[in-house]
Amino acid sequence: MMEIKNFTITKRDGSQAQFSLDKIMNAIVKAFDSVNEPADLGTISKIISHLDIHDDITVENIQNQVEEALMREGFYHVAKSFILYRQTHSEDRDTLEKMMFLSEYTESVNAATGSKYDANANVEHKNIATLIGELPKSNFIRLNRRLLTDRIKKMYGKELADEYINKLTHHFIYKNDETSLANYCASITMYPWLIGGTTSIGGNSTAPTNLKSFAGGFVNMVFMVSSMLSGACATPEFLMYMNYFIGKEYGLDYWQHPDQQADLSLKKRSIDKVITDYFEQIVYTLNQPTGARNYQAVFWNIAYYDRYYFESIFGDFYFPDGSKPDWDGLSWLQKRFMKWFNKERTKTLLTFPVETMALLTDENGDCKDPEWGEFTAEMYSEGHSFFTYMSNNADSLSSCCRLRNEITDNGFSYTLGAGGVSTGSKSVLTINLNRCIQFAVNHELNYLDYLGSIIDLCHKVQLAYNENLKELQAHGMLPLFDAGYINIGRQYLTIGINGLVEAAEFMGLKITPNDDYLHFVQGILGLIEKYNKKYRTKDVMFNCEMIPAENVGVKHAKWDREDGYVVPRDCYNSYFYVVEDDSLSVIDKFKLHGAPYIEHLTGGSALHMNLEEHLSKQQYLQLLKVAAQEGCNYFTFNIPNTVCNDCGHIDKRYLKECPHCHSKNVDYMTRIIGYLKRVSNFSQARQEEAARRYYAMAD
Amino acid sequence: MLKYVNTGIVFQEIPDEVTLAINISNCPCHCPGCHSHYLWEDQGVPLSPEAIDDFVEKYGSNLTCIAFMGGDNEPRSVDHLAEYIHEEYPQLRVAWYSGRTVISALINKDNFDYIKIGPYIKHLGPLKKPTTNQRLYHRTDEGDFEDITARFWKK
Repeated sequence: MMEIKNFTITKRDGSQAQFSLDKIMNAIVKAFDSVNEPADLGTISKIISHLDIHDDITVENIQNQVEEALMREGFYHVAKSFILYRQTHSEDRDTLEKMMFLSEYTESVNAATGSKYDANANVEHKNIATLIGELPKSNFIRLNRRLLTDRIKKMYGKELADEYINKLTHHFIYKNDETSLANYCASITMYPWLIGGTTSIGGNSTAPTNLKSFAGGFVNMVFMVSSMLSGACATPEFLMYMNYFIGKEYGLDYWQHPDQQADLSLKKRSIDKVITDYFEQIVYTLNQPTGARNYQAVFWNIAYYDRYYFESIFGDFYFPDGSKPDWDGLSWLQKRFMKWFNKERTKTLLTFPVETMALLTDENGDCKDPEWGEFTAEMYSEGHSFFTYMSNNADSLSSCCRLRNEITDNGFSYTLGAGGVSTGSKSVLTINLNRCIQFAVNHELNYLDYLGSIIDLCHKVQLAYNENLKELQAHGMLPLFDAGYINIGRQYLTIGINGLVEAAEFMGLKITPNDDYLHFVQGILGLIEKYNKKYRTKDVMFNCEMIPAENVGVKHAKWDREDGYVVPRDCYNSYFYVVEDDSLSVIDKFKLHGAPYIEHLTGGSALHMNLEEHLSKQQYLQLLKVAAQEGCNYFTFNIPNTVCNDCGHIDKRYLKECPHCHSKNVDYMTRIIGYLKRVSNFSQARQEEAARRYYAMAD
Repeated sequence: MLKYVNTGIVFQEIPDEVTLAINISNCPCHCPGCHSHYLWEDQGVPLSPEAIDDFVEKYGSNLTCIAFMGGDNEPRSVDHLAEYIHEEYPQLRVAWYSGRTVISALINKDNFDYIKIGPYIKHLGPLKKPTTNQRLYHRTDEGDFEDITARFWKK
């Protein structure tokens, strides 16, 4: 029998308590009673004598020892009962934890602040539906880790699986969207739907045959596709198909007489009214919170093209009736949609679709299609908010509001069936550069060597993820792939980066366009690209993106600070510059997202050019030129829109007072990351980051 | 010698242009309520033709216009630099923000594409207010100076 003295033990919540032998004896007696096994003091003393109690021992540890002691003494039934008793209590504690979370969530300011696992401003309200979405998230994280580590063990051994969990739990790396089971985001081709409706992905609608069935079926199709993705769904063919069905209804030249009466109802709607009514139906429906996605709207993205970009991508495209897409009609329809959407946004806060304008440039940095270059500048000057992708060849499409995906080297072609625009990212695994680099420097390691080992680990983990995905596909669980909406071979495995600027600051570099900083950036991104190429096979492709880090940027800063790393701000930047630095000019920022910096960033990073006031069309035209000259290929201009909390007035300008009712109770719509949302929908920490942002000012 | 304290890329000062604004010190105007008190002192680095070359080298064809913000103590020097820019970099427009009530007789107006005159008077407001006393002129293709102040008042 051990000596009884004053021990402290550590309880499950981390607090200390006085050790009590009575409590242990009671638990053992109860276990004997539960299986009707007689227990005398001698037996119990013998069991207790096996226990090795020391100061600060945990409750779990004591209970493990009791289990073993019971078995050592041959009381297997009692041990089993004790184990089951522990399990029940552990389940109770899980439930209790969930109940705690439930009450904290219901009391939080908004859904993003309340979310424990992946705060997301796309959830506008918190209610029973969003709560239902939040509750199982911790289970998903556990399940995903288990699925992945089991696969890693099979492919690379236990050591690497342990290493993954180690780096994950110590925040050297971060697995994005771990709370979902689905692959990440995709730019889909709608060709399978055009041919066969939604039956191939488990729906019951047949192929669209007219404008009405197109509009209704499109919405259903996007809902279905989005429920099988954890991120965004891009439909780059949306307006092209719509133009096809409008042409079938009103003639290919419909756009030359949009005011012509189109229906015989008393309303006598014009062709233009019919078209914009369909815009309204589609856009408003897709902006609704969706049941299957925890009350989030689907992340819907579309693309516009200038003539040359369009011809490069859709030059070989044929509709089922053998006709080719009509550029003149599409060009009109694209403009009509943008004008309509911009105006509609002064009535309602509409987040989706996220739009990307794809423009081709010539060697002088001028738009090859001046009509569309001018129109782009015109729309920006009218206060419309959208992304622009500029390139000297049609090499990319974005699958969500951040990732661009190279498409050329895959020989995309519609002539081989479908799939020219199908691309995207299967999974994102992010490296916390600030921690990795500081860790290496603190341990006197070459930071690039150390980073190399982390990058290598990430690639192996991503390959393991890919195997799991292939297995799901083999069991018919991924109909989007089987039906041809997405081509698994054209989907990337993405290495994300976060904390780049902060790591550079730690290394003593100035975050301005300068050679030392450029060298640092190129060293890191070049290294990632080296591994991306090394691990590439004919079935697997990797890219690298600077993630927007809506909540990871905040988490990394918090975790790193807690562990004693140098953390200069509460939220890591998602740009190549410091977002609150007012000494950098607009041109400096374009330079910092220019060709030399983004050269190895194959998965892209969208420059969010924050401005306080709207510019004129001529100024935007010049800035398009600046972007082309500097080689900044993916960007948007971000001028906060003002929303009055009292009268509901929406103004495209950044104002302190509502121009309509003069209330000072105003909120702002901004793109904190990719998509446009009310500032008050973002999590607390992100709202603070938005407030610190420097919006380039005029005077 | 003119000196400048800092520069910035600005959009609101000159309509439709992407402008490098050069903030010149030793300003004699001393407007009550001035937003740029730091420009009253004689401080900064010399604003020479070489400094202009450096700016153009740095920003290249990203700019469409260079604006001298101040310099009312040495209108002739401002004029020389304006002439220099037009000769060396004909693609760039030149603007001058003067705090005087009339355009200085010591300059050749043809060296400028935009000239702003008028001190800042608090109760009349800046260029953005329709009540402002300040005026921005733009040289037309015919060489006349047209008052374009109303451009600032549009929504």
